[in-house]
Amino acid sequence: MEKKIVNIGYGKVNKVNIGKDLPLAFVGGPCAIETRDHALFMAEKIAKICSKLEIPWIYKSCYDKDCRSSPKSFHGVGIDEGLKILSEVRDSFGVPVVSDFSDPAWAKATGEVCDMVQVPAYLCRQTSILRAAAETKRPILLKKGQFMSPWNMKNSCKKIESFGGDQIILADRGTFFGYNMLINDMKNFPIMAETGYPVCFDATHSVQLPTSMGNISGGQREFVPSLVRSAVANGIDLLFMETHNDPKNALSDANTVLDIKYLENILYQAKKIHSLRLELEEELGPDNVHKNN
Amino acid sequence: MFTKIIDMKIKQVMIPPENFAQVSPSEFLKVALDKMNDSKLGIACVVENKLLKGIITDGDIRRKLLNVQKPFSAFFSDYVIDHAITNPTTCKEDETLRSAVELMEKKQIWDLPVINDDGQLVGLLHLHAAIKHLL
Repeated sequence: MEKKIVNIGYGKVNKVNIGKDLPLAFVGGPCAIETRDHALFMAEKIAKICSKLEIPWIYKSCYDKDCRSSPKSFHGVGIDEGLKILSEVRDSFGVPVVSDFSDPAWAKATGEVCDMVQVPAYLCRQTSILRAAAETKRPILLKKGQFMSPWNMKNSCKKIESFGGDQIILADRGTFFGYNMLINDMKNFPIMAETGYPVCFDATHSVQLPTSMGNISGGQREFVPSLVRSAVANGIDLLFMETHNDPKNALSDANTVLDIKYLENILYQAKKIHSLRLELEEELGPDNVHKNN
Repeated sequence: MFTKIIDMKIKQVMIPPENFAQVSPSEFLKVALDKMNDSKLGIACVVENKLLKGIITDGDIRRKLLNVQKPFSAFFSDYVIDHAITNPTTCKEDETLRSAVELMEKKQIWDLPVINDDGQLVGLLHLHAAIKHLL
């Protein structure tokens, strides 16, 4: 399939174009919107880093965390408050914003504020969610379910297309490897790229150990840098990492979210590797090892 | 009598488009196989905006099964066009049945997609149907 470019951003924000031979883009922020002040604080920190490295970026944070392991875990600030905060982040920094939504009824309002809507991995094949995402007319960040094969994601793409959506980015956030464990299959990127849509690597959720701590998820964030290097070299167009100034006290995904003190280092490497990959492709052409066919 | 029959035009013998399997290039291979099953023919034509983009046949699938070394679920989810013959032998509807049968014999094939001057698919000539008219 012909490679497509996804254009993110409406109105007065810095537009981010993703795919083909365009520069690597970054999407990140705290997993959950905690408070207005914290959201703005994090946006300012990330904006400085991305501005310094000249990396196009999108602010990501969610208003409702519907897939937490425990009923006692922080569930989010809610859609009304959350979208108000995302709107303020957007206006203050001129950055496109994205949030996921886990109820079709929330899609319209989410799409009215957000430049991109995200479909959670656990819901990646739910027709009602995919229909609602397509109807927002915004680009869709579609996470591959941890239970899904990369080739079966074409079904979800076809569902979105059948509802009129044609701006999709496919993200890998790991695949279940037995219980409470994820693994990253680096073949997933070229396989999902066969759809023509840009592909994304969600580095911080990939190092999650789902519900491994009994009532919360554990994680091995020390592997984020090596996985990022591998994924970028493997041809991703968008890098997803959740980041926080105080991971230990983060209200969501405390065991995987990346301390912002590491963000610049990792993004710097990612940008360099991505540029090198594009240079090599320009010099040598696309991969041409023949397949058994 | 025999000569008269074999000099019939292909358009008098061909199967109309609604009676054989057609799929778009981005359709799953599995869907093409289902449609081939339904039509009881060993061929599906790959069509986009009425233009013939390729064909896929039982024989192609058999060869693929021996060569493609990946899970069936991945194979079935491949786009049809990735496994299609994109330069198939074709014929025109005003050509004679004789020429078509000779072509099928020469190429050792069972089916000939019938296209018009614009490359649009207008029918399918199946060897069984051709033989039926010759008997």
